[in-house]
Amino acid sequence: MSAVVFEGIWKKFRRGERHDSLRDLVPALARGLARRRRPLDLAEQEFWAVRDVSFEVGPGEALGIIGPNGAGKSTILKLLTKILRPTRGRIEMRGRVGALIEVAAGFHPDLTGRENVYLQGAIMGMTRAEIARKFDAIVDFSGVEAFIDTPVKRYSSGMNARLGFAIAASLDPDILLIDEVLSVGDVGFQEKCVARMRELLARGVPLVFVSHNLAAVVDLCTRAILVEQGTVRFDGRPAETVAEFRRGRRGAEARVRPAADQVHITDVQLLRADGEASPLFHTGQAMRIQVHYRAPQPVRAPHVAIDIHGVDGLYCAGINTRMDDCALGTLEGEGRVELVIPRLNLLPGSYTISAGILDAQGLRPLDLQSHAYPFSVASERKDFGVVYLEHHWRHDARSAAASAEADAGAPVASRPRRRPVEVVGAGGARK
Amino acid sequence: MLSWKAMNNLREVVAEQWEYRELLVRMTARDLLLRYKQTVMGFGWAIFMPLVNTAIFSVIFTRVAAIDVGMPYPVYAFCGLVAWNFFSSALRFSVTSLTSNPSLVTKVYFPREIFPFSAVLVSLVDFAVSSLVLVALMWWYHVAPGWPLLMLPLVVLSLVIFTAATALLLAMGNLFYRDVKYLFEIVIAFWMFATSVVYPIGRIGGRLGLLLTLNPMTHIIDAFRAVILEGRAPNPAFAITTAASIVAFVGAWLLFHAAEFEFAENL
Repeated sequence: MSAVVFEGIWKKFRRGERHDSLRDLVPALARGLARRRRPLDLAEQEFWAVRDVSFEVGPGEALGIIGPNGAGKSTILKLLTKILRPTRGRIEMRGRVGALIEVAAGFHPDLTGRENVYLQGAIMGMTRAEIARKFDAIVDFSGVEAFIDTPVKRYSSGMNARLGFAIAASLDPDILLIDEVLSVGDVGFQEKCVARMRELLARGVPLVFVSHNLAAVVDLCTRAILVEQGTVRFDGRPAETVAEFRRGRRGAEARVRPAADQVHITDVQLLRADGEASPLFHTGQAMRIQVHYRAPQPVRAPHVAIDIHGVDGLYCAGINTRMDDCALGTLEGEGRVELVIPRLNLLPGSYTISAGILDAQGLRPLDLQSHAYPFSVASERKDFGVVYLEHHWRHDARSAAASAEADAGAPVASRPRRRPVEVVGAGGARK
Repeated sequence: MLSWKAMNNLREVVAEQWEYRELLVRMTARDLLLRYKQTVMGFGWAIFMPLVNTAIFSVIFTRVAAIDVGMPYPVYAFCGLVAWNFFSSALRFSVTSLTSNPSLVTKVYFPREIFPFSAVLVSLVDFAVSSLVLVALMWWYHVAPGWPLLMLPLVVLSLVIFTAATALLLAMGNLFYRDVKYLFEIVIAFWMFATSVVYPIGRIGGRLGLLLTLNPMTHIIDAFRAVILEGRAPNPAFAITTAASIVAFVGAWLLFHAAEFEFAENL
């Protein structure tokens, strides 16, 4: 039995201004009386934000919804939370719905953090006793203990969001809806959020996740749908859906960027050590990035560049053939350039790859695809930051005997004996 | 057929409201807390406003155009103003209750009635506070209530139900048409003088008098005064008003519920 049933949903919206004053009411009423429209007819200025979308999400399933801006993703989520009612179709939600959406919407700036926890908790459907029981855990999760009795108008936007998220995360929902919360807070906080989602998912709570963070969708979801112009374009495994989305987006961009008779990137593939194309990698394992190109006309001595950015925009690495003195010769026809990274020393997180073909001087991009290829890294390593530094530890301590000797006025020249301790890092190699 | 569906809807909205009862209390507490924090006088305002009005009307109706109300005029006026202030302030909060919380209305789901209902509850707390002053005034002027005071809860309930019905309609109306807020200010000013708040409206005769008997607030405030100050049971008109208020309340709630899903799109 599916916990979430979204069946044949249509949702109509109106473009532009609607009548907001009584002045416009009279003509609107007259029009309404003149002809009664059937629900599936579109009047002037109306359009379908969602057209015949259906899906079901069962226990332990996580459905990702991806698509370009304005495709109808947020409308679907608002329909799921009952804020909007479908023009046509049937929605069923079995059990308590927890929505990690607008987690701080109920906050009042003049109330303290503590007061707002109770208010927002009630808005999310928790009882007073339940909030009181979870209060310490909420405050602890949010990391704003020191300011809990300060009015939230003095909070930074990050603190605001963290407190709101902490309240939402403390819910024990039967269904979880998430909209782009992974953009909240710093990396440490995001990890806590993802951990909480996984915990709920592992407990069998069905999850609907709307995001632009494709790597996170691949990472978290068991299934994903691609929504474009209000309809489901693709429905399948997350990696397939993400690939389909990227293919569509590149198609749309190719028309505006390099002309068809110029050299251009046709595809970029990210391969794991085992040769499987996947957006999921492990710290310390190999990664191969293949840049496929087509050069209708010969291009003399171009360069290929790869950049890696964190989702927060941090520039993690920039590599190109020019700096590495790697000559590609003349490109003509189709081919591919492969960058092999024997050990990927990035720590867990979400990243994007930009790929470009530059001219012989390495100055002018002939084709550039910025942040077009997301991937994520997982690892058992608990290091902080974005990069894994190969390391080991040493500990030098004087022995008790040596220091006693020193205190007793031993010759200055006598050095304390070293007692080396070596703790070698696990090296990140994990299989 | 239609009433069967309406009954079903009614059961649904009442059940949902019950489910969210804690939120209603929270939202009410929020507004009271905010007022306490944001104003120096806090609840003092609940007492101050009717007192100022009582002083003004006492001067007018005992010195300028003296009228006989059968008891010390300040008690008469204050009693009427306490009930009227509850009504008008509850409505004033309700009118903008949906439009002043856009982030909640467009982003989070819970029964929207909570906004106008909590506005009514906040005013009810003010009403209770200013009633204490009424008790003090009655003691000062030696006006003693009789056994009909036992009917006070019924009168207050009737007042609350009529206020809540109006509050639902106004909150909803203002969401769709912002003119309602301005229209309300004009209507409420006229309405006070068409109600027996500071003078007995029953003395107006003729066709105008007949028209004014249709005003439900007159019967409710008359009943309020009857059980507290005059030591008599309310007029039969009060019973009719109460019955009509209950019908209006149910109707307003069902209408509100039907329109509720359009709110997010129209804010």
